[in-house]
Amino acid sequence: MIPAPPGPFRPGFWRSPLRGPGLTAALGSILLVLVTIVAVTGFLSHAAYQPDLGGNALVRPDLPFTTFFGWPSGPSWLYALNQGLHVNVGLAVIPVVLAKLWSVIPRLFVWPPVRSASDALERTTVALLVASTGFLLATGVANIQNWYVFRFDFVRAHYYAAVVFVAALAAHLVVKVPVALRAYRSRVVLAPLRAGLAETRSEPEGDVVAPAPDPPTISRRGLLAAVGAGSVALAVANAGTSVGGPLRPTAFLGPRRSGGFPVNKTATAARITPAMVGPSYRLLVAGEQELSLSRADLLALPQATHTLTLGCVEGWSTRQTWSGVPLADLARRAGVPAPSEVFIESMQPAGVLRQVTLSGGQVADARSLLALQVGGKDLTPDHGYPARIIVPSLPGVHNTKWVGRLEFRA
Amino acid sequence: MRARYGASPLHLLVHLAVLALAAWALLQALDLGGAERIVLWLVGAVVLHDAVLWPAYTALDRAARRGRPVGWANYVRVPLGLSALLFMVFFPVMCGKGEAAYTRVSGTTWEGYTGRWLLVSAALFAVSATLYLATSRGPRS
Repeated sequence: MIPAPPGPFRPGFWRSPLRGPGLTAALGSILLVLVTIVAVTGFLSHAAYQPDLGGNALVRPDLPFTTFFGWPSGPSWLYALNQGLHVNVGLAVIPVVLAKLWSVIPRLFVWPPVRSASDALERTTVALLVASTGFLLATGVANIQNWYVFRFDFVRAHYYAAVVFVAALAAHLVVKVPVALRAYRSRVVLAPLRAGLAETRSEPEGDVVAPAPDPPTISRRGLLAAVGAGSVALAVANAGTSVGGPLRPTAFLGPRRSGGFPVNKTATAARITPAMVGPSYRLLVAGEQELSLSRADLLALPQATHTLTLGCVEGWSTRQTWSGVPLADLARRAGVPAPSEVFIESMQPAGVLRQVTLSGGQVADARSLLALQVGGKDLTPDHGYPARIIVPSLPGVHNTKWVGRLEFRA
Repeated sequence: MRARYGASPLHLLVHLAVLALAAWALLQALDLGGAERIVLWLVGAVVLHDAVLWPAYTALDRAARRGRPVGWANYVRVPLGLSALLFMVFFPVMCGKGEAAYTRVSGTTWEGYTGRWLLVSAALFAVSATLYLATSRGPRS
């Protein structure tokens, strides 16, 4: 057999006394909880876009991973909570991932690189796991900062990378959960966390344990505390934008920290012209009867007012008091009192999100409005004047602005 | 079987199932526009960590600790690491990387991000200095 080349391929290269199956099991356990939150909220967000309803699918309408349940229309902060967790826990994961990779990095340089067919398969899945983790974190971090440097479709690439991630993680867990449980049973996971620097020793055995370790410079609990501080720092830097209100300015590095009521897309960017929203504006409502309503007609209908949270997929949210005509009321007037769905079109001429289909359950919710006012004042052009959709717990961009047409389907 | 493969049949079946599913997802992703860029980012994520990030912080840390008394380093490397972590994650917003896209859709600009990162970094170093003073001057056991 060819001897190991010098450097990291020789065990003596590795000097940290902290590495061992116990530390890896501790970091892996924390990471498993965090990535489960991020993955579940990610796939729930996919479900919240209701890709099985007409025109909604951003990924692909024929996906086998479609929604098995209708996304609920309440509580109104549900989607904002989902995305707040997805984005901020996703940020908090980063230092834990780095620490976990650090704890097992000698495994990257094992010699010989492949010992058996099972070893080759395992290393392939680990490569997929690390690649998809890095891909998901890097594209997610860039996307919340509007930095589209990757120049591919974020939504679809992030989605399929998540499928790769979940698959690779499942195989990794099948192999490594027994290893971690063995570490817990041999008391090398939790007990060493009680040790201060002076009592920090190498673990008795394991393939990442250094054969000739240096003296420790930090205790295991010190390392975990530093990693935790990193997670907290990243989450706090952004989380204020997820909570909104008075906490928004505390997000010292959050991309959506300024302004009380952020604008996702301005009227100018959506190419809404003054002529479209002027006195000639008519909302077309299709159903059993066709209606054509001016803004004055809409204001003359019975109005409802609800305080609802608008949550963006990118993790920021805002809670506002909206007034307008309940969608259920418009459905009744169109002669479709219990629609199975409503198809909504914006007046904006282009963009994948200029149209959306909502479920019958969402129309039936009394808080689902065609909003005309927010905060007691008329909508501003950037917030969707003359009329916009606001539905509890609906992904932000599905709350269509500058609504031109509603079609209630029986 | 076990001797030749190196693990149990369950191990083989799980890995084959997972690799098939992952291959399907990768093919779906590559079927989109920008397939070569998606591959670049997948490979790049691993290369960036294993060949750049990990060697860089390991070398920096070893250089910084050379010959110093044990325990001294943590008061520097922990706040330094936190500051570097914040920069690594939020440098796009600090350097205005996505500001053109952000301003085009939102009509507003990004202000003061680098300044706030520097102030937070200053606070981290100050807290660490206070802790160092408190522990090094306190009663020794």
